Amino acid sequence: MADKTAKQVLFDPLINDNPIALQVLGLCSALAVTVKLETSLVMALAVTLVTGCSGAAIGLINQAIPHKIRIIVQMTVIASLVIAVDQLLQAFAFSVSQKLSVFVGLIITNCIVMGRAEAFAMKNGPWMSFLDGIGNGLGYSMILILVGFIRELFGSGKLLGYTILHPVTDGGWYVSNGLLLISPSAFVLIGLIIWVIRTMKPEQVGR
Amino acid sequence: MQRESTLYTFKVAVVLCLVCSVVVSSLAVGLRGIQKEQKEAFRQQNILTAAGLWNKIDNTKQEAEEFYKQYITPVFIDLERSRSTDRVHEGSGELDPKAAARNSQWHTLVTELDRDVEVRDDAGIRKREKYTTIYEVREDARLKTLVLPIRGYGLWSTLWGFIALDLTQAAQGPESITIKGLSYYEHGETPGLGGEVENPLWTAKWPGKLVYDADWNVRVEVSKTATTGYQVDALSGATITSNGVTGMLKFWLGEYGFGRYLKFISDSAATSDSDSGNPGTDSDPDTTPTQ
Repeated sequence: MADKTAKQVLFDPLINDNPIALQVLGLCSALAVTVKLETSLVMALAVTLVTGCSGAAIGLINQAIPHKIRIIVQMTVIASLVIAVDQLLQAFAFSVSQKLSVFVGLIITNCIVMGRAEAFAMKNGPWMSFLDGIGNGLGYSMILILVGFIRELFGSGKLLGYTILHPVTDGGWYVSNGLLLISPSAFVLIGLIIWVIRTMKPEQVGR
Repeated sequence: MQRESTLYTFKVAVVLCLVCSVVVSSLAVGLRGIQKEQKEAFRQQNILTAAGLWNKIDNTKQEAEEFYKQYITPVFIDLERSRSTDRVHEGSGELDPKAAARNSQWHTLVTELDRDVEVRDDAGIRKREKYTTIYEVREDARLKTLVLPIRGYGLWSTLWGFIALDLTQAAQGPESITIKGLSYYEHGETPGLGGEVENPLWTAKWPGKLVYDADWNVRVEVSKTATTGYQVDALSGATITSNGVTGMLKFWLGEYGFGRYLKFISDSAATSDSDSGNPGTDSDPDTTPTQ
């Protein structure tokens, strides 16, 4: 771990070590918020911000944290950051924060954030931990945005609320796929994404 | 000091808690002003949505501000005596149900609303404020729509919303009052289940539904098998939230909510069809129904 370059730390989590696709973490929110691209984007941004900042914060104080209470210290830092993000969203993106409802608060329990804090930030400096957090956040974001893109485009014929495929219900030609509007469809999509990645990178199989 | 000693552990915990709480609370306090504005704008949008004047798909936020100023007239209501009043002033807290619930001068316990019978708390609110704000939409000085604030307990939380009633035919009696729209702006129900109360697809089922039978009994309800003009399809997977919606409508549109005020409007519209200027002003305290 220690001999990784900054570039590797930042970009490895995108494909090689993707938190959703390889480690299969953070699925709950990935299912819940991806019905529209807009909520996916905001959630992706929020998680990236939280993983990045919590990585930096833990990386900064990891030498001072007593081993016995390290998990609770990580939780406290993460929870504070999540509340901060929630407050900011309520102030500057109110309608999106309404749609995300509890899922912003649930970033606290997102395994990716905790996982990176415990596995990486406890052993590395603030800058590398920040990059690692951002990188993992981006890996999460990539999947989220991809799933959100597919679900909104084929589920309701729109992207970011603008009609792309004119649906039959509005007098158009596109028969929208109702399955994509319900959460379980994200399972199928994430499964397909994992399949594609593992076909491209056979070394990930069975890990 | 040793890194694993008990004293040091306590020290780290205390310092961390202090730092985190300062960061979180200063952010919360600093952003409160903007959040309040956003909340108020959202509330206004919901009033307009319930009244069928605005929706978030076809209209912009700027339009919401304009429409609100243009169409909506807030009216203060004395719920004890079921008529409009000018004795309360905005900002005093009397009109804010949350503030009213904290001050025993400003609310009445639901069970004590009637001297003779124990009132059932169908909405699960325990305390009902004495004064509230309702919103009128008038056309050519004639009362067209009334937007009423409602709230009640669902599964996890109190749901806050508005119901708009079409009163254009109110003079012809209770069976001519129909629902114009329903919208919820604050709740903590399960997203995807009870949280669907704010889904436009569900709220779209409400307009046109009847509210009262001929004797002013609230008949509107959320039902698993909606067949009559009084019934609306329940939310699947959210029985308790659906029952909560029924309960709060029963209470707020009933005798101890806005029922008597609506009756008064209907009666005065019937008697003076030519003059529907301002029903229920403070000028005639003896003729209005009191309790």
